[in-house]
Amino acid sequence: MRRRFLTPLLPLAVWLATSASLALDEGDRAPDFQARSLNGDAEVVLHKLHGKVVLVDFWASWCAPCNAAMPQLEKLSKEFPADKFVVLGVNVDKKLEDARHALERRPVSYPNASDPTGMLPKRFGLQTMPTTYLIDQDGVVRLVHRGFRNGDMDEIRKHIERLLAPKKG
Amino acid sequence: MKIITTALLLGLCLAASACQHVDPWERNLLARPDMAWEVDELAATQENHTYFSKEAALPGGGVGGGGCGCN
Repeated sequence: MRRRFLTPLLPLAVWLATSASLALDEGDRAPDFQARSLNGDAEVVLHKLHGKVVLVDFWASWCAPCNAAMPQLEKLSKEFPADKFVVLGVNVDKKLEDARHALERRPVSYPNASDPTGMLPKRFGLQTMPTTYLIDQDGVVRLVHRGFRNGDMDEIRKHIERLLAPKKG
Repeated sequence: MKIITTALLLGLCLAASACQHVDPWERNLLARPDMAWEVDELAATQENHTYFSKEAALPGGGVGGGGCGCN
Protein backbone atom coordinates (compact mmCIF):
# COMPACT_ATOMS: atom_id res chain seq x y z
CA MET A 1 0.00 0.00 0.00
CA ARG A 2 2.80 2.34 0.95
CA ARG A 3 4.52 1.64 -2.34
CA ARG A 4 1.48 2.95 -4.19
CA PHE A 5 1.88 6.33 -2.53
CA LEU A 6 5.64 6.47 -2.80
CA THR A 7 5.95 5.42 -6.45
CA PRO A 8 4.60 8.73 -7.85
CA LEU A 9 7.13 10.59 -5.71
CA LEU A 10 10.07 8.65 -7.12
CA PRO A 11 10.60 10.86 -10.21
CA LEU A 12 10.57 13.94 -7.97
CA ALA A 13 13.22 12.41 -5.69
CA VAL A 14 15.38 11.44 -8.69
CA TRP A 15 15.04 14.94 -10.15
CA LEU A 16 16.03 16.58 -6.84
CA ALA A 17 19.00 14.23 -6.41
CA THR A 18 20.33 14.71 -9.94
CA SER A 19 19.97 18.50 -9.97
CA ALA A 20 22.06 18.70 -6.79
CA SER A 21 24.70 16.27 -8.04
CA LEU A 22 25.15 18.09 -11.38
CA ALA A 23 26.71 21.09 -9.68
CA LEU A 24 30.43 21.30 -10.31
CA ASP A 25 32.36 20.93 -7.08
CA GLU A 26 35.89 21.20 -5.78
CA GLY A 27 38.03 18.35 -7.12
CA ASP A 28 35.98 18.00 -10.33
CA ARG A 29 37.51 18.61 -13.72
CA ALA A 30 36.26 21.91 -15.17
CA PRO A 31 34.28 21.39 -18.39
CA ASP A 32 36.10 22.77 -21.38
CA PHE A 33 34.22 25.42 -23.31
CA GLN A 34 34.48 27.73 -26.24
CA ALA A 35 32.45 30.93 -26.33
CA ARG A 36 32.38 34.18 -28.21
CA SER A 37 33.91 37.10 -26.37
CA LEU A 38 31.63 39.91 -25.29
CA ASN A 39 33.28 42.25 -27.78
CA GLY A 40 32.57 39.72 -30.49
CA ASP A 41 36.12 39.92 -31.77
CA ALA A 42 37.51 36.63 -30.45
CA GLU A 43 36.71 33.17 -29.18
CA VAL A 44 37.36 32.36 -25.55
CA VAL A 45 38.59 28.78 -25.15
CA LEU A 46 39.19 27.42 -21.68
CA HIS A 47 41.64 24.64 -22.56
CA LYS A 48 43.99 27.19 -24.14
CA LEU A 49 44.51 28.54 -20.62
CA HIS A 50 45.73 25.21 -19.23
CA GLY A 51 48.97 25.66 -17.32
CA LYS A 52 47.61 28.83 -15.72
CA VAL A 53 45.39 29.30 -12.70
CA VAL A 54 42.05 30.47 -14.10
CA LEU A 55 39.33 32.24 -12.18
CA VAL A 56 36.01 31.87 -14.02
CA ASP A 57 33.46 34.41 -12.84
CA PHE A 58 29.82 34.09 -13.90
CA TRP A 59 28.14 37.50 -13.89
CA ALA A 60 25.18 39.45 -15.25
CA SER A 61 24.38 43.15 -15.52
CA TRP A 62 21.31 42.81 -13.29
CA CYS A 63 23.23 41.05 -10.51
CA ALA A 64 24.28 43.61 -7.87
CA PRO A 65 26.88 41.44 -6.08
CA CYS A 66 28.42 40.53 -9.46
CA ASN A 67 28.85 44.23 -10.23
CA ALA A 68 30.35 44.80 -6.79
CA ALA A 69 32.86 42.00 -7.36
CA MET A 70 34.09 43.13 -10.78
CA PRO A 71 36.32 46.06 -9.75
CA GLN A 72 37.91 43.79 -7.16
CA LEU A 73 38.41 41.03 -9.72
CA GLU A 74 40.04 43.59 -11.99
CA LYS A 75 42.43 44.50 -9.18
CA LEU A 76 43.08 40.82 -8.47
CA SER A 77 43.85 40.10 -12.12
CA LYS A 78 46.72 42.59 -11.96
CA GLU A 79 48.18 41.30 -8.72
CA PHE A 80 49.61 38.12 -10.26
CA PRO A 81 51.76 37.56 -13.37
CA ALA A 82 49.63 37.25 -16.52
CA ASP A 83 51.44 34.06 -17.57
CA LYS A 84 50.40 32.35 -14.34
CA PHE A 85 46.95 33.67 -13.50
CA VAL A 86 44.01 34.87 -15.55
CA VAL A 87 40.50 36.04 -14.73
CA LEU A 88 37.85 35.02 -17.22
CA GLY A 89 34.38 36.53 -16.96
CA VAL A 90 31.35 34.73 -18.34
CA ASN A 91 28.40 37.04 -18.91
CA VAL A 92 24.95 35.45 -18.99
CA ASP A 93 22.85 38.46 -20.03
CA LYS A 94 20.34 37.64 -22.74
CA LYS A 95 20.85 41.09 -24.30
CA LEU A 96 24.45 41.89 -25.21
CA GLU A 97 23.77 45.65 -24.88
CA ASP A 98 23.00 45.18 -21.17
CA ALA A 99 26.35 43.52 -20.62
CA ARG A 100 28.20 46.14 -22.65
CA HIS A 101 26.54 49.00 -20.73
CA ALA A 102 27.52 47.30 -17.47
CA LEU A 103 31.12 47.10 -18.68
CA GLU A 104 31.05 50.77 -19.63
CA ARG A 105 30.09 51.59 -16.05
CA ARG A 106 32.67 49.19 -14.58
CA PRO A 107 35.37 48.64 -17.17
CA VAL A 108 37.58 45.59 -16.78
CA SER A 109 40.62 44.54 -18.77
CA TYR A 110 40.26 40.76 -18.37
CA PRO A 111 38.51 38.77 -21.12
CA ASN A 112 34.79 38.19 -20.96
CA ALA A 113 32.86 35.48 -22.73
CA SER A 114 29.22 35.92 -23.63
CA ASP A 115 26.69 33.14 -23.09
CA PRO A 116 23.17 34.47 -23.66
CA THR A 117 21.80 30.94 -24.06
CA GLY A 118 22.74 29.87 -20.53
CA MET A 119 24.59 26.78 -21.78
CA LEU A 120 27.70 27.34 -19.66
CA PRO A 121 25.95 27.88 -16.32
CA LYS A 122 24.07 24.64 -16.98
CA ARG A 123 27.31 22.76 -17.68
CA PHE A 124 28.88 24.15 -14.51
CA GLY A 125 25.69 23.48 -12.52
CA LEU A 126 25.50 27.05 -11.34
CA GLN A 127 23.44 27.40 -8.17
CA THR A 128 23.66 31.08 -7.46
CA MET A 129 24.81 34.37 -8.97
CA PRO A 130 27.61 35.24 -8.87
CA THR A 131 29.67 32.07 -8.67
CA THR A 132 33.41 32.02 -9.03
CA TYR A 133 35.38 28.90 -9.96
CA LEU A 134 39.08 28.76 -9.32
CA ILE A 135 40.64 26.25 -11.70
CA ASP A 136 44.19 25.04 -11.22
CA GLN A 137 46.94 24.53 -13.82
CA ASP A 138 45.65 21.02 -14.58
CA GLY A 139 42.06 22.10 -15.19
CA VAL A 140 40.73 20.90 -11.84
CA VAL A 141 38.32 23.07 -9.85
CA ARG A 142 39.96 24.01 -6.55
CA LEU A 143 37.45 26.53 -5.21
CA VAL A 144 33.76 27.17 -5.81
CA HIS A 145 32.83 30.53 -4.34
CA ARG A 146 29.11 31.28 -4.33
CA GLY A 147 27.83 34.84 -3.86
CA PHE A 148 29.98 37.83 -3.09
CA ARG A 149 30.45 40.00 0.00
CA ASN A 150 33.10 42.48 0.98
CA GLY A 151 36.08 40.57 2.29
CA ASP A 152 35.47 37.48 0.14
CA MET A 153 38.33 38.47 -2.16
CA ASP A 154 40.84 37.87 0.63
CA GLU A 155 39.81 34.22 0.79
CA ILE A 156 40.00 33.86 -3.00
CA ARG A 157 43.41 35.55 -3.04
CA LYS A 158 44.74 33.08 -0.45
CA HIS A 159 43.63 30.16 -2.63
CA ILE A 160 45.35 31.65 -5.68
CA GLU A 161 48.57 32.20 -3.73
CA ARG A 162 48.45 28.59 -2.56
CA LEU A 163 48.00 27.34 -6.13
CA LEU A 164 50.80 29.53 -7.45
CA ALA A 165 53.22 28.67 -4.66
CA PRO A 166 56.17 26.53 -5.78
CA LYS A 167 55.49 22.84 -5.18
CA LYS A 168 57.65 21.26 -2.50
CA GLY A 169 59.73 18.20 -3.41
CA MET B 1 -7.52 3.76 -3.10
CA LYS B 2 -6.98 4.21 -6.81
CA ILE B 3 -9.35 7.14 -6.81
CA ILE B 4 -7.51 8.78 -3.93
CA THR B 5 -4.13 8.33 -5.63
CA THR B 6 -5.50 9.71 -8.89
CA ALA B 7 -7.06 12.65 -7.09
CA LEU B 8 -3.78 13.35 -5.26
CA LEU B 9 -1.81 13.20 -8.49
CA LEU B 10 -4.32 15.42 -10.26
CA GLY B 11 -4.16 17.90 -7.40
CA LEU B 12 -0.37 17.84 -7.54
CA CYS B 13 -0.41 18.47 -11.30
CA LEU B 14 -2.85 21.35 -10.93
CA ALA B 15 -0.82 22.87 -8.13
CA ALA B 16 2.39 22.58 -10.13
CA SER B 17 0.94 24.03 -13.31
CA ALA B 18 1.51 27.61 -12.16
CA CYS B 19 5.08 26.95 -11.08
CA GLN B 20 7.89 28.02 -13.33
CA HIS B 21 11.42 27.17 -12.38
CA VAL B 22 13.75 30.15 -12.82
CA ASP B 23 17.43 29.32 -12.91
CA PRO B 24 19.77 31.67 -11.02
CA TRP B 25 21.24 33.02 -14.27
CA GLU B 26 17.77 33.77 -15.68
CA ARG B 27 16.49 35.99 -12.87
CA ASN B 28 17.05 39.30 -14.62
CA LEU B 29 13.95 41.40 -13.77
CA LEU B 30 13.19 39.21 -10.76
CA ALA B 31 16.51 40.33 -9.27
CA ARG B 32 15.45 43.98 -9.24
CA PRO B 33 15.02 45.50 -5.77
CA ASP B 34 11.41 46.47 -6.54
CA MET B 35 10.60 42.80 -7.21
CA ALA B 36 11.47 41.89 -3.63
CA TRP B 37 8.71 40.58 -1.37
CA GLU B 38 9.17 43.68 0.80
CA VAL B 39 10.43 46.70 -1.12
CA ASP B 40 11.15 48.71 2.02
CA GLU B 41 12.31 46.30 4.74
CA LEU B 42 12.36 48.98 7.48
CA ALA B 43 8.85 50.25 6.72
CA ALA B 44 7.55 46.66 6.62
CA THR B 45 9.08 45.90 10.02
CA GLN B 46 7.54 49.02 11.53
CA GLU B 47 4.15 48.21 10.05
CA ASN B 48 4.33 44.63 11.32
CA HIS B 49 5.31 45.83 14.77
CA THR B 50 2.29 48.11 14.98
CA TYR B 51 0.07 45.36 13.61
CA PHE B 52 1.06 42.64 16.05
CA SER B 53 0.85 45.10 18.95
CA LYS B 54 -2.79 45.73 18.08
CA GLU B 55 -3.57 42.09 17.26
CA ALA B 56 -2.36 40.41 20.43
CA ALA B 57 -4.19 37.18 19.63
CA LEU B 58 -2.04 36.54 16.58
CA PRO B 59 0.95 34.28 17.10
CA GLY B 60 4.53 35.18 16.30
CA GLY B 61 4.52 38.81 17.38
CA GLY B 62 5.31 38.40 21.05
CA VAL B 63 3.29 40.32 23.59
CA GLY B 64 0.28 42.47 22.86
CA GLY B 65 -0.13 45.98 24.11
CA GLY B 66 -2.27 49.07 24.03
CA GLY B 67 -2.00 49.52 20.32
CA CYS B 68 0.58 52.27 20.27
CA GLY B 69 3.17 49.92 18.74
CA CYS B 70 5.73 50.97 21.34
CA ASN B 71 6.27 47.64 23.12
